[in-house]
Amino acid sequence: MKKMLQLALGIATSVGGFLEIGSVTTAAQAGASFGFQLLWAILLGTLCLIFLVEMSGRIAAVSKHTVVDAMREKFGFNFFIIVLVSVVLVVVMVLAAELGGIALSMQILTGIGFPWWALPVALVCWALLWKGKFSIIENGSSVLGMVTLSFLVTAFKLHPRWSNVASGLVPSLPTHDRAGYGFIAVSILGASISPYLMYFYSSGAIEDKWDETYVPVNRAIAVLGMSFGGLLSMGVLVGAALALMPLGISVDTFHQSALLMTTALPKWGFFLFAASMAFACLGAVLEISLAVAYLFAQGFGWNCSEDDAPDRDARFTFVYTVIIIVATLPLLFGFDPIRITLVSMSLTAATLPIAVVPFLFLMNDPKYLGDHRNGWVSNTVVGLVILLAFVLSIVSIPLQIMGG
Amino acid sequence: MDVIRDVLDKQLLDSDGMKMGRVDGLVMQFGERTQPRITHIEIGGPTLAARISHRLPKLTRRLAKVWGPRRLEPVRIPWSKVERLGRDVRLNVRGRETGAMAWENWLAKHVIDKLPGSKAK
Repeated sequence: MKKMLQLALGIATSVGGFLEIGSVTTAAQAGASFGFQLLWAILLGTLCLIFLVEMSGRIAAVSKHTVVDAMREKFGFNFFIIVLVSVVLVVVMVLAAELGGIALSMQILTGIGFPWWALPVALVCWALLWKGKFSIIENGSSVLGMVTLSFLVTAFKLHPRWSNVASGLVPSLPTHDRAGYGFIAVSILGASISPYLMYFYSSGAIEDKWDETYVPVNRAIAVLGMSFGGLLSMGVLVGAALALMPLGISVDTFHQSALLMTTALPKWGFFLFAASMAFACLGAVLEISLAVAYLFAQGFGWNCSEDDAPDRDARFTFVYTVIIIVATLPLLFGFDPIRITLVSMSLTAATLPIAVVPFLFLMNDPKYLGDHRNGWVSNTVVGLVILLAFVLSIVSIPLQIMGG
Repeated sequence: MDVIRDVLDKQLLDSDGMKMGRVDGLVMQFGERTQPRITHIEIGGPTLAARISHRLPKLTRRLAKVWGPRRLEPVRIPWSKVERLGRDVRLNVRGRETGAMAWENWLAKHVIDKLPGSKAK
């Protein structure tokens, strides 16, 4: 029972890492432009993520190494620095998008433009990391994240035809706008599968002192936690397909995506949408900032614990402070968070092999995992989805850029 | 013992179990008649920079002169201080007293402690 309470880590990882501005925007765009047709991308992303998260927890529980610890040890510093640089470059953009998501939620609630909100939002997020302990961040994110269940309520209240929904789970070719279709598919995969999520989850498993007896619990947490995020994303897509597509609304602005909830819930929809986005993005900001700080600290072997006073692990604290400042800058200058989201999600997909392929090698190394190493199913599923995400991104990102 | 596989890049712990960096480099001595042996463990930026490119340390030295704890030489811990080799490398030294924590201490003093509430959670 005590172990199942660790589900909070799974839900927190899922709310912060999965259902955030990236997943909501890409799922809303998919639904608005292609109906249920892109549901398969969310299904595939969720499936791959379940496997990756399960692996990240397993390596931590069995070897007492986080993903990053093991990567630095096995592949050496020169390889680690490549992963570090590529992950950080992409993740700073993702972080800007998430901070922007909170700021945009404040904008639609108050009418005051998001650039004005950027600084106070960043300050609140930073203060939570500065003063909060790991368990507060973990449990707080998962409790507040429950508001996002309203996306699922929305989907149900719009009464979709379930046979049509089911057919969207099978991949099919679009009848129009192939480049756009591919690009949204890539962005959905990038929004679902993010390396920082693996770093956060395995660090959480170490902070919560998991051992080998957690292997079965870890599996349950990965499946339940990530399915939670996946289902909610599907809820967004279904809601957008039913509420926005008939009106011919394509989701280019944050305000337009709010319509998917106000159609089903006229009275509370607007407020619920803003609250859902604000809390989901808040979870993401905390998770991403911590994951980057862990990436540095573990890669370089620094002392760090989110439970220590900030000046006991100054380098760790310094990293999340700096990355939040850097990610706030584009918002202050008024860069559109929705644009940043789409660019950063597709770039995440394109750079996935750098972080995931070596991780697969690690997961097959008996030195770290002994009898708990990967079977062929997990290797194949993750390998194929990452390959698909990579190939799709190589094809569709240039097409998207050329098509404007 | 396969030194590269078993020691290089491993986590270093001090005598209190505090993480004090990783084995970023190893200093070896080659004698004419004796077996080559490890004499020191190196920790920190200059050693890592040299692993990427032998030209990089010049640049990092120049940067180190203007900002940070102004430590120009790599941190070296004698191999004799190694207490245990396992999942981590445990050293018989106090981490905060070695140069390995120079940046940590510098950032704590000059950046983190300037912000309110840095001493407690």
